[in-house]
Amino acid sequence: MLRAEPLLKIRLMLLASEAQDAALTLARFGVFNPAPCGLEALADAPAAAYREAWLEAEARLSKLMETCTDEVPVDLPAAAEAPSLADLEELNHWLKDAWSACFACHEDEARIEEMRSRLGALEETLAKLEGLNVNLAQLLRADSLLAVNIGSLPAAELKRVTEALAMTGHLVSRFDQAGEQVFAVIAGPRARQGEVRGLLAQAGWRELPVPDELRTHPQAARIWLDAQRAGLDSQSGAACEVRDRLLEAFGPRLHEARLRLALARPLAEAAMSGVCGRGELAAVSGWVPKRRLDALRRTLDDRFHGRYWLDLREPSPREIAEVPSLMRYPGWLRPYVPLVKSYGVPRYGEFDPVLPFAVTYLLLFGAMFGDVGHGAAILLLSAGFARRLGAMAWIGVAAGTVSILFGFLYGSVFGYEDVFPALWVSPLHDPTRVLTIAVAFGVGFIAFVLLINAFNKGVAGRASEALFDSGGLAGLAFYLGAVGMLASRVGMFDVARTGGLLAGAGIAVVAAYKWHEARGGLGERILVTIIETLETAITLFSNTLSFMRVAAFSLNHVALALAVFTLAHGLDTVGHGITLVLGNIVIIVLEGGIVAIQALRLMYYEGFSRFFNGDGREFVPLRLENTAGGQ
Amino acid sequence: MSAYLDTRVTLYASRLWPDDALEALIAMPDAAVAETLGERGLPQLAAGYGSATEPQQNLPSLELRIISQILDETQVLIRPLSGDARAFLNFWTARFEVSNVKTLLRGKMTGERPAAILARLIPMGPFGRLDNAALAHAEDVGELLRRLEAGPYAAIVRRARRAFEQSQDPFSLDAALDRGYYEGLVRRAEPLEETVGAPFRRLMADLVDRINLVWLMRYRFNYGLPPAQVYYLLVASHYALSGARLRELAALDSPQAVLAALPAAWQARLAGATDIATVFARMERAAAADALQVLRSRAPEIARAFAYLILRERDLRAVRAVLRGRHLGLPGDDIRLALRRGSAGMH
Repeated sequence: MLRAEPLLKIRLMLLASEAQDAALTLARFGVFNPAPCGLEALADAPAAAYREAWLEAEARLSKLMETCTDEVPVDLPAAAEAPSLADLEELNHWLKDAWSACFACHEDEARIEEMRSRLGALEETLAKLEGLNVNLAQLLRADSLLAVNIGSLPAAELKRVTEALAMTGHLVSRFDQAGEQVFAVIAGPRARQGEVRGLLAQAGWRELPVPDELRTHPQAARIWLDAQRAGLDSQSGAACEVRDRLLEAFGPRLHEARLRLALARPLAEAAMSGVCGRGELAAVSGWVPKRRLDALRRTLDDRFHGRYWLDLREPSPREIAEVPSLMRYPGWLRPYVPLVKSYGVPRYGEFDPVLPFAVTYLLLFGAMFGDVGHGAAILLLSAGFARRLGAMAWIGVAAGTVSILFGFLYGSVFGYEDVFPALWVSPLHDPTRVLTIAVAFGVGFIAFVLLINAFNKGVAGRASEALFDSGGLAGLAFYLGAVGMLASRVGMFDVARTGGLLAGAGIAVVAAYKWHEARGGLGERILVTIIETLETAITLFSNTLSFMRVAAFSLNHVALALAVFTLAHGLDTVGHGITLVLGNIVIIVLEGGIVAIQALRLMYYEGFSRFFNGDGREFVPLRLENTAGGQ
Repeated sequence: MSAYLDTRVTLYASRLWPDDALEALIAMPDAAVAETLGERGLPQLAAGYGSATEPQQNLPSLELRIISQILDETQVLIRPLSGDARAFLNFWTARFEVSNVKTLLRGKMTGERPAAILARLIPMGPFGRLDNAALAHAEDVGELLRRLEAGPYAAIVRRARRAFEQSQDPFSLDAALDRGYYEGLVRRAEPLEETVGAPFRRLMADLVDRINLVWLMRYRFNYGLPPAQVYYLLVASHYALSGARLRELAALDSPQAVLAALPAAWQARLAGATDIATVFARMERAAAADALQVLRSRAPEIARAFAYLILRERDLRAVRAVLRGRHLGLPGDDIRLALRRGSAGMH
């Protein structure tokens, strides 16, 4: 719980034809994080084609799922095997055909829709052409010297096309517009028709077919149009039927495709980094927890009956930065994990701050917001909204409980200080004591943090930093010695001599270390050493004083309650009640929020920033994904 | 904001490659190349050249690293900008994404595997607006075009789709995409030309007029397209080569006649040019001289930033030519010939 689990790097070697089952077995095992093989002798990527086929199939499946809603969750049987590359490619081809059929259906529907709108436009065109009183049969004669085209083009292109056509002696006459499409008649010398063909194609010109039926009497033309429309209606119905039949036909196979792609996912994902090989040999490599090694061997034996070779080793010091951190937490601690992860992930081997974070965060919150009534309100609200807040609700419940506890210690309920006596100290009546306790807490916290930092540096192989640097044991010695001297000066202890020796020795070691580490000329080294040593002293004490805010907020809590009471006392009974209720809501929401943020800030900046790089890698196990229904 | 961008552009300007620096790069020993590139703010190119720490095969191509460098610098310059200026520089980077659209379309036309198409796309970083993975997995050109039409380049792609549906010719697609992109750029430049004024307009005019002249000559005399179609394929603009002038030029029947019909100042600039590559190089050199003048002037910051980006891109192309020439072991004179850069007055 305080450190990442010890891991082993494994390399599972087996026949390339069984790689997909190996990845599936490791995904079912649940704690295998793929990592690069790092073996030059196995430089091929035997699963690259598998991954590519899976990606294609997955993309096609997701497009199909947009149309065919498969609500049934995919249940992966324990004995199911992952598809081979040939199976996957076959499935991919089927998905391609299925998508093409579906897409063709879509296209048919789109085409029918387009035809319908063109028919509408034709109808309007007919009305307009009738209005122009033009004999279309005469105008469109094929043996005329004048070539005439009737059609449509995007409105934005009209000006440009008109200018370009003018260069070839053609005229453009616009006679209608529907949406972004402009309907126009283009007329020009038939001898130069060839010159404009490419231009019209480029401009998206669509010829408006003027059927013979339309060149007759308007009444006959209308009958023709009605017949066309009826034809389209029946085509549309047929297209819908085809689509429904397709969905019905594809349904079971589509469900099976989801299942097989889910089984293929582990190798496809592992292929990104953790699968290498040569010829018929494949190796799946990655990290597993040491404690699960026997279980892994059993799992592999059950599945492969000895047809594998398992190579394993401890992580080397050079690759520590690449090793993922696998943490295990009890259920009650898990809600705090996201708050730590929002800062970063501890490196492999580093101290994991989740447990001290949870304890200290709650203590700081309770100390700054100690009130039985307000704490109970937070507790009840968090419990009441537990379903909506999820795991975070338990942080609220715990914070409310600690707030109640400190409320008893401070003797405060909804800001009233006289309902019951304080079990420990009342911030309002003894502020100096509260400030002293806050600073003492800060000293303890910073000393703890320096110890962790020394530990982390030692684990990372930087022993000299752990021992001699300002954030290591020498800095801790200086800090504790200096605190002892100050405490002796104000009469709290009598350790001035020991404290002075400890502080002097600590700062001397820090200065010597800074001198050793500084680069540059003599003057530059002297300057760097003095400034950095001085900074060590100033930073440590300014950080300690930061903890005075804990006392300040506990006082602030009482002061806000007093302000509410003062306002309420000046009003009548109803106003008094309303002000008290609203005032307490403001205190809970506003001050509660500020205190929650301040406690987080103290943890991040006075704590984490000293020992926690947060640049570790999270352990991301290969997993099977149970797809929960359609989209 | 203005002071920040001005200072940033001035600092960046010191990274430009004067001609003597390029000349030195041609003749430099291998060991010194990486250091020189690093000094001129090109660590991404230096990482792959003469570096023992990183194997060459693990690096993206020189072309991709150059584009990545341009995008990185544009991102820094764009940070303090807002409104029209930001939209303009954002769209200026979009030409790389339009190039990705062409790669996707060509890939689909030739039935390439999605992974192979994806590997050839330019990584756009924060400027990327397309879901390349989803587009690469489209089944065919039709589906790809429909998906593109639902994206940020809908206006450009719609026109290209219509042209392609009519002709089924890849040239139609490319020409429509290019024209659509540059007309979009001209549209985004118009409000800036009003507020920023002459320096910015000069940069845009150099760019668009050059593109129009080179396209006109290529379409008309290399591809043999009819004048009306050539005119239609050019970028509609309001600069020196206006619509009326372009129509006149497109109607002429030889490159010499086109060059002779240009404005007098252009004729002097292009005297003796016999091929389109030379016309392009001379026009680009003149544009670089203009951009350098704007960069060194007290012009508004967006004009200076744009001038810097134009010059930087030209420099990077030249550096690429030198590095590639060196890699192939070409003699210095051949590399100089490939540069065709000529002096833009930068010393």
